[in-house]
Amino acid sequence: MSEILLKSENLARSFGGLQAVAGVSLSLPAGQVTALVGPNGAGKTTTFNLITGNLRADSGTASIRGKPIMGLKPWQVARLGVARSFQDLRLFTHMTVRENVLAATETASWFWQPGGTRARARRQERAEAAMEATGLTALADARAVDLAYAERKFLSMARILAAEADIWLLDEPASGLDLASRIRFGQLLRDAQARGVAICLIEHNLDVVVELSNRIAFLDQGKVLAEGDPETILRDPALAAIYFGDRPQEAA
Amino acid sequence: MIAYLMNLATIVAIFGILAATLNFIIGFAGIFSVAHAVFFGLGAYAGAQVALLLVPDALLACLVGAAIAGGLSLCLALPALRVRGEYFVAASLGLQMMAATLFAEVKPLTGGIGGLVGIPRPTLLGVQIGVLPVAVAALALILFLTARLQRGAFGRTLQSIRDAESAAEALGKNVAAAKTLAVAFACAGAGIAGALFALHLSFVNVESFTMDQSVLVMAMVIIGGTGTLWGPIIGAVILLSLPAGLAFLPFIPATEVGAVQQIIYGLAMTLLMIFRPAGLVGDLSKGRSTA
Amino acid sequence: MLLLQLLLQGLQTGALYALTAAGFALIFGATRIFHFAHGTAFTLAGYVFLFGFTGGLPWWAAALCGIAVATLFGIAMERLVYRPIQRHEGSFFTVFVAAFGVAVVVQNLIGMLAGRGFASVDTELSRASEVLPEVFLAPVFWIAIGVAVALFAALSAFLTRHPAGVALRALAQNPDLIRTYGLSSNRLSVLAFALGSALAAPAAILTAMTSGLNEAIGHHAMLISIAATIVGGVGSLRGAALAGLMLGVAESLALAVVDTQWAEGVSFFVLFAFIIFRPSGIFGVVQTR
Repeated sequence: MSEILLKSENLARSFGGLQAVAGVSLSLPAGQVTALVGPNGAGKTTTFNLITGNLRADSGTASIRGKPIMGLKPWQVARLGVARSFQDLRLFTHMTVRENVLAATETASWFWQPGGTRARARRQERAEAAMEATGLTALADARAVDLAYAERKFLSMARILAAEADIWLLDEPASGLDLASRIRFGQLLRDAQARGVAICLIEHNLDVVVELSNRIAFLDQGKVLAEGDPETILRDPALAAIYFGDRPQEAA
Repeated sequence: MIAYLMNLATIVAIFGILAATLNFIIGFAGIFSVAHAVFFGLGAYAGAQVALLLVPDALLACLVGAAIAGGLSLCLALPALRVRGEYFVAASLGLQMMAATLFAEVKPLTGGIGGLVGIPRPTLLGVQIGVLPVAVAALALILFLTARLQRGAFGRTLQSIRDAESAAEALGKNVAAAKTLAVAFACAGAGIAGALFALHLSFVNVESFTMDQSVLVMAMVIIGGTGTLWGPIIGAVILLSLPAGLAFLPFIPATEVGAVQQIIYGLAMTLLMIFRPAGLVGDLSKGRSTA
Repeated sequence: MLLLQLLLQGLQTGALYALTAAGFALIFGATRIFHFAHGTAFTLAGYVFLFGFTGGLPWWAAALCGIAVATLFGIAMERLVYRPIQRHEGSFFTVFVAAFGVAVVVQNLIGMLAGRGFASVDTELSRASEVLPEVFLAPVFWIAIGVAVALFAALSAFLTRHPAGVALRALAQNPDLIRTYGLSSNRLSVLAFALGSALAAPAAILTAMTSGLNEAIGHHAMLISIAATIVGGVGSLRGAALAGLMLGVAESLALAVVDTQWAEGVSFFVLFAFIIFRPSGIFGVVQTR
């Protein structure tokens, strides 16, 4: 069994009277792709926000390699090796593709980055490699706002690649991608997996889930109902009933 | 005539510093401050007091002006960390109005409405000099620094925060530190401009540090084009030559030149925003750099 | 007795602040435009009244002229400045700069035409008499309170009963909904600007009769409106009006301890404190970024 990179225990958070996340325990092992699956409003994105410090948890803990991360600010969590993508991407719209990716490699908020010219050369290499892997090299000087939909999604991935994190939290990274793009995206995930990155992704399309992940955590009403390999979970009629239930499936 | 041109050049250099530093936080960090004259004023009073009480050394006055303005820039950084957009503009407007009252009332430090008079001629290492060379050197230095910062990693950090703060944070950027630093840099620059202004005029009072002045500097940035390197300087040249140009028009009474100047740039701001929001220098095909 | 005097004075100022702020909040609520030139409508109304009255018009005719000019100004801003900018999806900053430019132009035009410095109208109504031992009140106090109460009653009746008023409130929630119901959001936003600007006019006229006007008073009116809207909680008209009233009272009560020139500092201080500690205002909902 591979090392658990990120672990959460009983994370809970309510908004007003609504219990959005009601005790989520999750383990993300290195080199595994875990899909968070569940109906709309199950608390998937909220779980991400609790882990990354964008929201404060009412109770529960989370740790990275055994180091507790509760109460840390988002940038502090990020510097421990967590990279996340957003459902609405949040690209740096008025910067070029290269600038977007370079920005992901420059974490120091000081007037200059530490490490001198050698570190700068390495950052540039990382950025070029990330653009190469996502097929954006030809578009390096285009502004993010001028990209097509799939290119934007890949730019969001390029930032994560360049950040060199070993825990990825991806919020619907494959939604709306055509088949060719999805194959390319799958390759990105498998390469990362081979390097020992722990990946967690939120995905609505179950075909994509099967295609990309090797573990599933099924969330409903803020709780993990089941965790295991895709075959077992998706064949469970009780879970299928909840998933397809009276709620129509939609990409929200 | 030479004296007149020298004077104009000095003033242009001083306002060039103001416009360039304001452009830095507006264009790159998305921090729309309407309180730049406050830090100009802090630097001016600090520089004037140094010259009056210690030595009229230009370098020392600039350093003290920069330190005080940069230090007190926390007053501007604090709301910038909490709110953005209209809210921040409102906060900086409030700061500007409050500071103008303070400048007029704290007589021991600012001389009140009457201001500080009889500031001695500046020296540099004991030798008496004019302000012009110092101001031009300071402008060159500030332009060089802003250009370096804008093109480098810090500029990218600020732009990324401007475009998507939460994403920048998720990539490990300490947003609060970066914003505070950017504001401190810009305000310290305004402080230098203030110290030079005090030494140049040998007299300062609150009139020069009111909202009208903040708006004038903002107009320079906007008319020139936000987010460009030379735009603010061009804006400063245009707006500062305006009164001289107006003085040649016989039908404008001398007392109304100031008002006519303000009407012209007020109108220019409105019309530019409607028809050419990127400013004169800004590249329209690239769209607006500070959306 | 000093405190009572200051409190009453504060209520009078506060009633006028509440009217001005409510106009701003109405415009912002319905159109999401931060109308930075709202103070200009205030200045225009005040000076038109002043000119009309000193030029020999009866007071009511001068007041009507003031209200009309403020309303027209609001409509002109919407049609000529804000709408073209929003058509090319200008950022908030574009809107702010354009509005501010207009404010600068009008301020200086008024300065050139009317002279700089304070100007006020002296009428019977603004002469104070002793109503209680050491407490002086001018009839204009009752007028200010009465006008504010009457206008707020009319406004809330309009917003809850009249179809256009209801639509105006709905516009703030969901512009698309309005379109599906076949109402024109364009026309509604003109209505919001007209109404909001008109609301500032009575306050300006009464200010001309009491503390007087100067050409830069628009900045003050604008800041008070913004402060009241933020303190009251953006989106809440009632909150803005209440906060305006409170700011007026606070400024006045502060005079018991500090000199006049610091009074308006009180409002900025409150604004600043709210922005740093509670940006959502008193009645606002805390939003996560």
